[in-house]
Amino acid sequence: MTTSTSYPVLQVEHLTMHYTTRKGVVKAVEDVSFSLNKGEALGLVGESGCGKTSVALTILRLLPENAQFLGGHVYFFRDGSDEAHVRRALGKPVKILLNGREHQGRLLEVNRAQLVLETQLNGRSQQIKLGRSDITHLGVDLTALSDEEMRPIRWKGISMIFQAAMNSLNPVYKVGDQLIEAIQTHMPLSLPEARERVAQLFQLVGLDRQLMDRYPHEYSGGMKQRAVIAMALACDPDIIIADEPTTALDVIVQDKILREMRQIQKKLNMSMIYISHDIAVIAEVADRVGVMYAGSLVEFGPSEPIFKSPIHPYTKALMSAFPSIKGEKVKLTALPGEPPDLIKPPSGCRFHPRCPYATEICEREVPQFIEHKPNQYAACWNPLT
Amino acid sequence: MARIWQVLTSGMSKYIIVRLLQIVLVLYLYMTLVFIILEAQPGDITDIYVGNPKITPEAREAIIKQLGLDKPLHERYLNYLKNFVTGHLGCSFKWGNIREVPDPVCREQRPTWDLIKERLPRTVLLFLTYTIISFYIGFFLGKLIAWRRGAIIEYFSTVVGVVLFTVFTPWFALLLVWIFAVNLGIVPIGGFINPDNWRVVERVGTVSRDMGVSLSNVVFNYILMWLGGLTLVWGVIYLVSQRFPYAWQRRVARWGSVCIGLLAMGAFFGGAWPGSADQAVIASETRFNFFLWQLEFPAGTIPLFPLALDFVQHMILPILTLTLISFAGTMLLMRNTMLETMREDYVMAAKAKGLPDQVVRDKHAARNALLPVVTSLIFAIAFSVDGGVFTETIFSWPGMGKLLLESAIEQDYPVAIGTLVFTGIFALVAHLIADILYAFLDPRIRYD
Amino acid sequence: MQRARVTFEPTQALWRVRLQLLWRGLKSTWAMFAESKIGLTGLGIIIFFILLWMLWPIYPWLMERLAWTPEELEAARNAPYGAISSIYQVYDPVTGYDPLIPLEENREGNILPPSRRHPLGTDQYGRDILAQLMASTGSEFTLGVLAALITVFIGTCIGAITAYYGGFVDTFFMRLADVFILFPLVSFLIVLGSMMELTLLKLALILGILFGFGQITIILKSQALAIKVKPYIEAAKVAGGGHFHVIFRHIIPNMLPLSFLYMMFNVTSAIFSEAALSFFGLLPGARTTWGIMIDSAHSGGYILGGRSFEYWWLWVPPGVAITLLCSAFYLVGRGLDEVVNPRLRKR
Ligand SMILES: Nc1ncnc2c1ncn2[C@@H]1O[C@H](COP(=O)(O)OP(=O)(O)OP(=O)(O)O)[C@@H](O)[C@H]1O
Ligand code: SF4
Ligand SMILES: [Mg+2]
Repeated sequence: MTTSTSYPVLQVEHLTMHYTTRKGVVKAVEDVSFSLNKGEALGLVGESGCGKTSVALTILRLLPENAQFLGGHVYFFRDGSDEAHVRRALGKPVKILLNGREHQGRLLEVNRAQLVLETQLNGRSQQIKLGRSDITHLGVDLTALSDEEMRPIRWKGISMIFQAAMNSLNPVYKVGDQLIEAIQTHMPLSLPEARERVAQLFQLVGLDRQLMDRYPHEYSGGMKQRAVIAMALACDPDIIIADEPTTALDVIVQDKILREMRQIQKKLNMSMIYISHDIAVIAEVADRVGVMYAGSLVEFGPSEPIFKSPIHPYTKALMSAFPSIKGEKVKLTALPGEPPDLIKPPSGCRFHPRCPYATEICEREVPQFIEHKPNQYAACWNPLT
Repeated sequence: MARIWQVLTSGMSKYIIVRLLQIVLVLYLYMTLVFIILEAQPGDITDIYVGNPKITPEAREAIIKQLGLDKPLHERYLNYLKNFVTGHLGCSFKWGNIREVPDPVCREQRPTWDLIKERLPRTVLLFLTYTIISFYIGFFLGKLIAWRRGAIIEYFSTVVGVVLFTVFTPWFALLLVWIFAVNLGIVPIGGFINPDNWRVVERVGTVSRDMGVSLSNVVFNYILMWLGGLTLVWGVIYLVSQRFPYAWQRRVARWGSVCIGLLAMGAFFGGAWPGSADQAVIASETRFNFFLWQLEFPAGTIPLFPLALDFVQHMILPILTLTLISFAGTMLLMRNTMLETMREDYVMAAKAKGLPDQVVRDKHAARNALLPVVTSLIFAIAFSVDGGVFTETIFSWPGMGKLLLESAIEQDYPVAIGTLVFTGIFALVAHLIADILYAFLDPRIRYD
Repeated sequence: MQRARVTFEPTQALWRVRLQLLWRGLKSTWAMFAESKIGLTGLGIIIFFILLWMLWPIYPWLMERLAWTPEELEAARNAPYGAISSIYQVYDPVTGYDPLIPLEENREGNILPPSRRHPLGTDQYGRDILAQLMASTGSEFTLGVLAALITVFIGTCIGAITAYYGGFVDTFFMRLADVFILFPLVSFLIVLGSMMELTLLKLALILGILFGFGQITIILKSQALAIKVKPYIEAAKVAGGGHFHVIFRHIIPNMLPLSFLYMMFNVTSAIFSEAALSFFGLLPGARTTWGIMIDSAHSGGYILGGRSFEYWWLWVPPGVAITLLCSAFYLVGRGLDEVVNPRLRKR
C-alpha cells in the first residue's frame, strides 16, 4: 500500500462558510471539495476575493468571529502508528484506507489493541473490527475536533504561510524566538537544540543564522518572507498552505523564492497547497490545480491537462488573462465584467453574467461538479472540449 | 543583559542625550511660563499680608526683600531661574527650622527643599504602589474583556469603567473613608502614622518639633529602600532569566527570587533592632495593636516590623481608593488596544502555530497592546504628585500634594511655588524614563 | 446639484444643497451614533441635566403650587425669624432659608431631611439642596462647554497650522505641547487660586488655554497631516487657493468631527477641575457649584463625623451629579469615537 505513491493527506468535502456583515451574508466558500495527496503541490487559483484565503482558514479553523461554518468535512490523514492521531480520532468521523478501499465512519476503541469502525454500508450499519496495526492511513475530520484537540494539528500537521506574510511576524520578538516558540510547543527540544534547528531552517531557506537574533523590522521584505517560510517548516508539517507567499515581493525575488520553495517541498516530500491569483505562478509550481470562482471550485484536475485543455470557460478566461510563463504565446484577453458580489451572487452558475458560452440553463440551475475527463472535474453546463 | 547592551549601543545613549537636552528646554519653557503667569497677577503676593495684624510692615518689607520683589522684573526672573539652578527653592513662611545647624539662608525658617525632600518619598511610595497595582489589574481585566467579547460584559465593564474613571475623586474618597474607616472601622481614617504606636518611642538626640517624626522617616526610608532595591534586583533577575533554556528554569529563578526577597525583607523588619543613642529607643516594655494582633517588644529595642506595619495600615485605604479610581482607565485603554492588536496578522499566525490560547493572548496580543498602556502608566506616575492633592488631602497623607495645597491655602508662597515647579520637574523626569522604557519594550523604535 | 439648479437661483441653490448635504450627513452620523448604546446613555444623562437646568427658574414657582399648603405659606410670611415676602427667597441657592425649619423637628442646625417642601433636604444653613443643585447645573455646563470650545478652537487652529507649515512652527508648538501635557494642572490651579480671585469665566479661559496647547494639538495635528495629503487639498492649492483659504476652508472643516469628539472629553476635564477647585474652597468667585456643596458638607463635619450617613443628602447628590455629568460627556465622546474612528467600528 505504501508503495502506491499517491495517497491523500487531506480531503476537503463540501466545505461551506459564510461571513455575516453589516451589509449582508458574504457567501465566501460554497461547497468546495478537493483532495491533496502526499508529496503533491496543489494550486488554488482565482480572482482576488473569490474565497481562497477563506478556504485555507476554514481548513485550519482560524476563522474570525463573524464567520459561520455551515458544513463540510476536512479529513486530515496521518499514519496509524501515530498514537496521538488515533487517540484524537476516537469517536470522531473518520476515513480509513483499508486494502486500497476507503471506509468512512466512526472509530471506537474496544481495548488497547482492538478498534472498531462503525460504518454505513448500503444503508445498513456495519462494524468492522480493526487491529491497531491495520490502520495505515487514518483521516480524522478536523471540523469535529475541539479547539484543544485541534491545537497539535496546527503547525505540526498543517502549517500556513499567511497572505500578508510580513505581518505574521510579531514586531516585538526576535525572529528566531518566534520560530523557537513554535518548535518548543510541538517538539520536545531544549532551547539550544531548538536554536540549532532554527539555524538549520534558516540555512535551508537561505538566511544567515546570525539573523535569528534580529527583530523583524531589521529584515528586508524578502528576508521576512524567507523567515516566514522557515517558520512554516519549523515543525516538519505534513502540509503547508502557502497563501500568496510572494505577492509583496518584486518579480525576480518572487521567482527565486518560488523555485526554492518548490525544491524544499520536493526534498522534504511535503504536501503543499499553493494559493495565488496569478495563474502563471500556479502553472510553475502546481501538480494539480483547483480553480475557484466566487466562492466555489469550478474546475479541478492535474495541471498539464487543465492548462492544455481547460473544461470550464472561466479557467480558459483566466489563462488568457495572463501571459504564459512557459513561453507559449497566448493572446491577452482581459476578463470582461466585474467580479461577482458574494453577498448577492448570480443565480445558477455564478459565472454566467461574464461567460461567453452561457446558455439559458446556466442562469437557472447550478451545474454539478463532475468528472468530465479522467481526473478532471468541473462544474459547467457547456464544458469545453 | 545582552538586550540592555544592544539597546544602549543602538543609538540609545544618543537618544537619551537628545531627549535630555529637549527636557532641559521644555523645563525652561515651563518655568518661564509659570513665572509669566504668576507675574501677571495684579499687585504682589505680599498684598495679602497688608491686613494681617501678625505681620508688621517691617516684616512685610523683609519678606519682600527675601523674595526679591523690590527688584525690577528681569532681575527677578533671573533670580528665579538662579534659585532653581542652585537647587535653593526658597524658605517657608510657615515652617520653622528643625535642624540643629540651621540653613544659612533661611535661618529660623525651614527651606522648601528640605520639606520636599521629606514629603516626596511618601508620595512616591504611595503612588508607585497604587499605580503598579491598578495598572496590573486594569491590564489584566482589559485583556480578558477584549479576549472574550460579549455584549453584556462589554457594556457593563464600559459603564462601570467610565463611572469609576470620571467619578469625582474627593467625593469618592470620602465615600470610601465613610464605608471602610467610619462604618466598618477596619482601617484608620487617615494620616501617615498612628501616634499612639509611636508615642512610646522616646526620642533621644536630635531636635524635633513632632515627637517620633524623625524615627518615622527612618523607618519609612527603610521601607522605601527595600522596595526599591528588591524591584531593581527582580528586574535584573527577570532580564537574565530570559536567556535560560527551559521554561521551568525561568519560572524557578523568577518565583524563587521573589520569595527570597520577600523573606529577606521580612527578616529585616521582623527583628527587634537594638536602638542606638542618636536614633530612638523604646522606653519601656511596649505593646502594639495591629488589626487583631498584640505584639510585645523588649525594652531598649526598635521594633521595626510593627512600625512598618503602621505605615502599611495607613496606606491601605488610599491605595484602595486610588486603585479603584484609576484601574478603569487602564482597563478601557487596554481593551481598546487589545481589540486592535487582536486583528493583527501575527496574532492569527500565533494561533495557527498551535500555541495555547493563553500564550496567544498574553504573549502576542497583550504584549503588543501593552505599549500604549505603558505610556498611560507613565503619565499616571508623572501626574501622581498633581493628582495626589486630592487623595493626600482627604486621607491626610503628608506628601507633596498635601504640602502644596496647605501652603497654597495658608499663603506660604515660597513653598507653594517651589512645590509647583518641582512637580513639573518630576513629571518631566517621569516622562524621560517613560521614553527609555518604551524603547526597551518596542524594538521598532530606532533612534537615529 | 443639477436638479437644484433647475428649480432655484444659483446662490440659493448652492446654499440649499449645502444645507441638504449637512442634514444628510447629520442624519447618517446620528444613525451610527444611535447604534452605540453607550453614547445614547451619555446623551440621555446630558438631556436630563439640561432639563434640570431649564426647570430651575420655575422651580420655586412649582414648589409653591405643589408642595406648600396655604397655611405653611402664611406661616412663612409671618415667621418670627426670617419671614419671607416671596417664595423665591426660600429657594435661593445662596441666601435661601426656610423660615419654617425652626418650627419643625430638626436635627442639627437647619438640616432637614428630604421632605415635601425640600425634595433633597436642606443643608446646615437651611438652603434647599435641590435648588442649589439646579442652580449649579447652568454654571457647570457653561464652564465645561466654554472651556472645551476654547480648547478645541486653539487645538484645531494650531493643529492645522503646524501640519500645514511644518518646520520651525511645528517644532515650536510641539515642544510647547510637551510643556502643557506635563503641566501639573491641579497644583497650578490651586496655587493660582490662592493668589487671585478666580471666577468661572477666568477659570474657563485658563482651562481652555492649558488644555488647548497640550495633547489635543498633537492629536489634531496628526489628523490634519492625514488631511493635508488628500487629493482635494492639492486640488485647492492648484486652483490658486491661498494658504489661509486652504487651511480654513479645506483642512479645518475636515478636522471638525475629530475636534468635536475631543471637545466632549474636554468638557469632562473642565467640569472636573472646577469641581475640584471649588471643593478646596479656591473658587470664591463662583456662586454655588456642586464642588462647593460637597466642600461645605465636608468642612461642616457632616461627612466624616461619627453619624455621617445620617446626612447623606448633603453630599451624595452633588457628588453623583458631578460624576454623572462628567461620565455623560465622556460616554458621548466614546459613542462619537465609534462614528469618527472607523477602526473601532464593528463590521
Ligand atoms: N472577516 C471577513 N468578514 C467579512 N467578509 C470577509 C472577511 N474576510 C473576507 N471576506 C470576504 O470574503 C470574500 C473572500 O475573501 P478571501 O480573503 O477568502 O478572498 P481571496 O480569494 O483570498 O482574495 P485575495 O486574492 O484578495 O486574497 C471576499 O469577498 C471578502 O470581502
Ligand atoms: S455553466 Fe454556463 S455560464 Fe457557467 S461556465 Fe458553464 S457555460 Fe458558462
Ligand atoms: Mg487571500
